[in-house]
Order: sequence, then structure tokens, then C-alpha cells
Amino acid sequence: MATSVSQKRPARTSEGVLLKSLVAALWLSFLFLPLKGLSAAVVFFFAVALVLVFSRSLVKYHKTITGMLPSVRLSGLFPRERMRILIFLSFLFAAAVPLFAGDYYIDVAILAGIYIILALGLNVIIGFTGLLNLGFAAFYAIGAYAYALLHTKMGFGFWTAMPASLVLTTLAGFLLAVPALRLRGDYLAIVTLGFGEITRLILNNWDSLTQGPNGISGIARPEIISFPLNTLASYYYLVLCCVIFSIFIIRRVHASRIGRAWIAIREDEIASSVLGIHATAYKLYAFAFGAFWASLAGSLFTAKMQFVSPESFTFMESVLIVCMVILGGLGSITGVVIGALILVILPEMLREVQLYRMLALGAGLVLLMIFRPQGLFGGKGVSLRG
Amino acid sequence: MLELRDLHTFYGPIEALRGIDLEISQGEIVSLIGNNGAGKSTTLMTISGILKPQSGDILFEGESIRESAPHKIVRMGISQVPEGRRIFPKLTVRENLEMGSFSGRGDAASAFEMVFGLFPVLQERQNQFGGTLSGGEQQMLAIARALMCHPKLLLLDEPSLGLAPIIVSKIFKTIREINREGVTVLLVEQNARAALKLSRRGYVLENGQILLRGNGAELLNNNDVKKAYLGEQI
Repeated sequence: MATSVSQKRPARTSEGVLLKSLVAALWLSFLFLPLKGLSAAVVFFFAVALVLVFSRSLVKYHKTITGMLPSVRLSGLFPRERMRILIFLSFLFAAAVPLFAGDYYIDVAILAGIYIILALGLNVIIGFTGLLNLGFAAFYAIGAYAYALLHTKMGFGFWTAMPASLVLTTLAGFLLAVPALRLRGDYLAIVTLGFGEITRLILNNWDSLTQGPNGISGIARPEIISFPLNTLASYYYLVLCCVIFSIFIIRRVHASRIGRAWIAIREDEIASSVLGIHATAYKLYAFAFGAFWASLAGSLFTAKMQFVSPESFTFMESVLIVCMVILGGLGSITGVVIGALILVILPEMLREVQLYRMLALGAGLVLLMIFRPQGLFGGKGVSLRG
Repeated sequence: MLELRDLHTFYGPIEALRGIDLEISQGEIVSLIGNNGAGKSTTLMTISGILKPQSGDILFEGESIRESAPHKIVRMGISQVPEGRRIFPKLTVRENLEMGSFSGRGDAASAFEMVFGLFPVLQERQNQFGGTLSGGEQQMLAIARALMCHPKLLLLDEPSLGLAPIIVSKIFKTIREINREGVTVLLVEQNARAALKLSRRGYVLENGQILLRGNGAELLNNNDVKKAYLGEQI
């Protein structure tokens, strides 16, 4: 008798799972009905039902699946020598992009380059130092606007406006960090989020200086010794140089005394304080250093678009950059570069399915967090602490 | 060497230290015992500069360090092994030790030689992640890390916490050894018997105040101490 009961029970629960999944699918396809009509809704119903049933039955094997995954260590996949060849090849590929790709692809590649610089900058703050910053778009905005204003109001050229914008934004990073660093963890995240919104709202409402939501237009293309970078390809090479410069510098700083101090603070702030690390100072450096790269990206973005408006620096922008860092793997430079590439290129590729690309992207991120919470390349498994 | 004068430290509105007077001379081992929440760790954190006292003074080699920042205090030669070890789990043993010499006091090479002499097991495991060490080894790593800056005064916060008795006696033996090398030690412990046996002098802390003071043997035989901290029936 007892055996028959225990045999029956799993059957009943799996029936329950099936029923629940079907109800959920029905509900979703019902919501979908007004969007695309009946036949599409039916197809949608079957698709969702299949996915739900499948994923529900996967739950049982979640442990086994996650147990299998970490054995695939992406960062360990390529030993040092092979990694070097791989980096060289990807550099060659990146350099060759304008030779075979059309304007649209070069455009996407420029955008990807700008986001790589942004994500690398945020990685210094979140990945190396462990400070959750949800307002990174603010630095991006300050960099972009500083460039635009210096260019249009003061007549600075690219090569003078950009360094000036770098200095100004780095200072802004310092200024934000001074009050924010009294807080930790979630509280710091909220303050940085607030800072991001405040910056955007100021840009949106300070009509006399920033022309509000209309934005600033009429920004000239940068030139190198009076040769204007007219074509997309030439601008692409400028961005590529900046990306390589940023990777090189960030790698060197990561390996330096300052980088070590950042990692120690991320691992344990109290321990690093009693070892003689001036935690507050090094956190300030991290914020300022991150802001520096955001400003470089902002300048490049403005010069590329020849236009800047507050719309480009919403909270979603900050979230997107955080996603790039987390997707690639906190603290890993290779990972963050790849995370940025994926999150720029994937939505472009999914443009065909307009409506659902954010849905697919979201689902992808959720799956990643379940099966690979350390990110694609985060081999060492870094925890987020304040 | 170190002198605390009428030290008051607050956590917000709560007074954790209510006037601590304490003195350590060059070359001593002094232990500070007391119950949970008596203020032992607070005392150490105040000496290290992580917490700022409301009033009172801290003198190190005759100089007030009350207003000094933690990293400056380390550079002057006061190093702390914090409670619960607090090693860096995602750094290797060697990297952990390198972080110990961050302040730039003395040279790292001779420090490595010294700590590997004290704890040969750390040399064997220098490429392992700190988090993969056993509890006892982590405590050794924490002590070694604090020694990397050639401190004059070593503050130890409950080195016996959560360790097997055999490891505890090993750690205590090493503390004596470190002291023989000329490092002054302030030891905070709940394991009162072991601490008082090791120390020349001791202080008993209760509710943020010094209740008793005396040499180690005296305190071990004190009836109040026996009853409250050594679990003996009188």
C-alpha cells in the first residue's frame, strides 16, 4: 500500500505542473491576442506552453545542470599562449571591420566600442572595488555635455574639449563620491541612482545652458591635424584606438598597488583598513577613475552623434551598463568587453522581432543568473558588498 | 608604550566604552578578558582608529594617536588581527600576505621569511586561495598578515575563536614566540584561562569599564574571575 502511494505522488505533482503551465500559457496568449490576432495567439500559446512545461520539468534537474556547468570554465578554456593568439586575431578582426562591413555594421561597431569603454569604467567601480553604482549614466552624461558645451559655447576643438571634459568629469566623480562613500551596499546604490536622475533632470531643465530636452546640436566631427574624420570608418578607428587604450590602462592599473587595494576593499573593508589601506581614499580613486572612462565614452558619443540630449542618459542606460558588467563577469576585463559586445550586438540582431527583443534579452539574463551567476567570464566568483 | 586614558567610545547613542584606562609596556603580553559585549573589540577598534573616541586619549610611544587615521596608525607600528580572522578569501595566501605589507613599513622579503618561519604551512599553501584554508590555518594567515608590516604592537582579537583546543594551544605558543622576537602583544580573549596563563598582566572588562587589573597569576586566582570567567564553583 505504502509503495503505491509513493509511486502515485510524483505522477500527481507533474500533472499539477502541466496544468499550471497550461493556465499560465493561456493567460499570456490571452494578453497577446489584441496585439497580433487570433492565429498568432494560438501559436504563441503552444510556444509558451512548451517552454513552460519544459522549464518546469527542468527545475528537478536544476542541481545537476548547474553542477555540470561550472566545469566549463570559459576563462580556463584558453591557456595563456592561446589567449594571446586569440587576442591578436580579434584585434586583426576589429581592425579589418571597415574593409568588409557596410555602414550600418560600422555604426553598430562604433556604438559597441563606446559601450565597451563605459562598461570597463563601471567595472572599476563595481567589479574591482565592489561599490554598486546605479547612476553611472550620470558620468556619461556629464562627459558628453561637458564636451558639447565646451565645443559649441567656447569653440574648443575635439582634442581640447575631450581632455577638458575628462578632467571635469573626473572631478564630478570625486565630488559625488565624497558624500556617497559614507554609505555602503544598498544605500550607496540608492544614492548613486538618485545622482543619476538628478543629473538627467538638471540637463533636462536648465534651458539656458543645455537647451533642455531639445538637446545641443551642431557639433562638428573631430579632426586630426585639420583632416576631418568624415567617414564612418575613420571614426571607427578613432574609437578602436580609444578602446585599446582603455583596456591597456585599466589592465595596468588593476595589476598595480591601487588595483590591489581596490580588490582588498571589495573582499573585506575592515580587514583592509587595519592593514593600513586608506579605504576612503581608494574608493574615491575608483569613482574618479570610473568617471574618467565614462567621460571618454561620452565625448566619443557626442562627437559621433553630433548631437546630445538628456534622453540618452536615462536610468535604463545605467542599468544596461550594469548588465554588461554582470553578464561578462564582475572584475574580468575580457568578460566585460564580451558582455558589452553581446548587449550591443544582440538587440541589433534581434531587431527583426522588434516587440520581443527586450523580452528575449530579459529571459536570457534570467537564465544566465540561474545557471551562471558569476557571469560568463567571472572565474573567481566575486561577491557584491558595500 | 601604549596608554589609554579615560577612553569613551559610542556607537550612535550607545556608550560602549565608559572610561577605559589601560597601559602596556614594551615587550609585554597583556590580555583583556570579558564577556560578549563588554567592549573588548571596541577597545581594539578604537586603538586602530576605525572607531573614534568621544573623549579620552590614546598615547602610543608618548604621542597622541586619537585623531590619526587607521592607515597612519598602522604605519606607526600598530597592527591588528581582527575578530573572525577576516582574511581575503578570493586572494591567494601569498597575495593575502602581500596586502599585509601594503603600508610599506619594513621590507617585505624579510617579513615573508619571518612569517614562513613561524608558520611553515603557509609557505606550502602560498598559491592556494585563502578561503580554502582550514579555520586554524586561516587564523595563522591572519596573524601572519598582521606581522607583515613589522609591527611594534600586535593587537589580537580572539585568536581562539571557533578553533579546536589543540590548534588553540598551538596558536598561543606562536603568540609567545612572536612576543620573544620583541613584539608587544595586546590579547583580547574569551578563553580567559589560556590568555591569563600566557600574559604577564591582565585586565577584566565589564560593561565598558575595567573591573579588575593585575598580573596573570593574581587574576587566575581571583575569586570573582574564577566565578565569572573560569566556570569554577567557589
